[in-house]
Amino acid sequence: MTWQTVIGLEIHVQLSTKSKLFSGASTGFGAEPNTHVDLVDMGLPGVLPVPNKDAFLKAIRFGLATNAEINQVSSFDRKNYFYPDLPKGYQITQMAMPIVGKGSIKIFANGEEKIINITRAHLEEDAGKSVHDLFEGETGIDLNRAGTPLLEIVSEPEIANAKEAVAYFKAIRQIVTFLDICDGVMAEGSMRCDVNVSMKKVDDSELGTRAEIKNINSFKFIERAIAFEIDRQTKILESGGSVAQETRLYDSVKNETRSMRSKEEANDYRYFPEPDLLPVVISDKELEEIRSSLPELPEQKEKRYINEVKLEASEARIIASSKTMANMFEEACLKTDDSSLVARWLVGEVSALLNKDNIEIDESNLTSNNFAVLIGRISDKTISGKIAKSVLEEIWESGDGVDAIIKDKGLVQIQDESLLESIAKKIVEDNPGQVNAYKGGKDRLFGFFVGQVMKETQGKANPQSVNEILKKLLK
Amino acid sequence: MDKKTVRTIAHLSRLTFDEKNEEKITNDLNNIIKFVDQLNDAETSDIEPLTSPLEKVARTRPDNVTAENRKEAFLKNAPLSNEDYILVPRVVE
Repeated sequence: MTWQTVIGLEIHVQLSTKSKLFSGASTGFGAEPNTHVDLVDMGLPGVLPVPNKDAFLKAIRFGLATNAEINQVSSFDRKNYFYPDLPKGYQITQMAMPIVGKGSIKIFANGEEKIINITRAHLEEDAGKSVHDLFEGETGIDLNRAGTPLLEIVSEPEIANAKEAVAYFKAIRQIVTFLDICDGVMAEGSMRCDVNVSMKKVDDSELGTRAEIKNINSFKFIERAIAFEIDRQTKILESGGSVAQETRLYDSVKNETRSMRSKEEANDYRYFPEPDLLPVVISDKELEEIRSSLPELPEQKEKRYINEVKLEASEARIIASSKTMANMFEEACLKTDDSSLVARWLVGEVSALLNKDNIEIDESNLTSNNFAVLIGRISDKTISGKIAKSVLEEIWESGDGVDAIIKDKGLVQIQDESLLESIAKKIVEDNPGQVNAYKGGKDRLFGFFVGQVMKETQGKANPQSVNEILKKLLK
Repeated sequence: MDKKTVRTIAHLSRLTFDEKNEEKITNDLNNIIKFVDQLNDAETSDIEPLTSPLEKVARTRPDNVTAENRKEAFLKNAPLSNEDYILVPRVVE
């Protein structure tokens, strides 16, 4: 039997407002517990929520960037459940009239482009944090996060495998960071997602029963949780069983999903319209202002890099996919002429260092100024590519200026042809055996001579000059 | 509404009641529903759902931090707390 996987994602994006969705408490991350809490977040009797306009404007930015319908009139509903980190006993969310309606986003996975449709994106408040492992027999509650604005982005069940799910999540992260509506820092929980997985026979028109895996906050875990779930559900179906509709938890230590039975029986949220809030209305003028202030998005950047800057498609995609990378590219290109060399170094050596340290480019010691100077010194042949790599590593460590590093370490490329020639001559004289073998047809030995000259000059020789000189000498 | 539904709602609301009152509560709730059900007789197919009886829109606020730190007062009000957290009986997944 061939089973087809159907996946839908609900992504919770923490909007980067300064204050909460319904109160004037700060949303700052990492504060002392329970210091960013207002009377409204605490759910005290007699208080009323007042909507933060900026959260709506940010949600609309997302909607416009994903070609979505914008509901200029949107309203709130109560989702009722009891949990200690939700003091009111209900979450204020948008059920009936979400701010953002149907939209779509383009993803790139398994070597292909695909459009994933977005069902809706609605505003809601985050819950507080429960701390289970600090206290014996008790759970600690920190309400700093309670009331932080979330945009919940719900995809259609159109995602076919784990790779596509990760690509979709990355595409959403790209867009929200480019739009400056979320910092995208996964480690701080700025983006989390619930994954719905079900299996059906290829010919079936109806979807199978789905399991929902809650609260995953890394690309790697999304991929692993889905892989585990596909395997689990396939085994159940193959042996004639049926998949239970339930909420599951992904355990990254054991790499498995587990049923969260405790939440199961309470899965009746009794939604009703929030009586404490009137509908929020966005005017045509406000909508147009947001539309005209949208920044260039990754897809547009990628096209421009290919068509106008003439980058390779693969380079354009990598650079355009990250806001910090694109900023670095564009700033460096303003200060140097060789855009394609800037691109090649960004995608190659710089990306390698970023991956090694697992950081974004704006967290590194590399400034666009310094990077532009480095590219300039390669272009004007002051240093070779190989030396430039060690200069880049030095910048990475110290943040020192390119020219200072080149001067301090004596790295300037040897352009003096006569000096190179005398070094090359000596190497040819010292290695008669290799010379004979080379002249006898062992062409590969040419590299040996180049290597020796480079060794002698500590890598400072201009490789092109060395090639020419050696060719002449070995004729 | 039957007794099973009443028990489910009671559980969802975290309410307990004496078993001997179960019959009476079920009857009361059924009477309330019957009363409210009269609304179903009204013809509403042409009417937009009303989210609020006030025909007004929400006043919003600009994105400014205005709250003070009231940690001490909040923790003092909680039945159980330490210097940082409100403490509740352990909730384990």
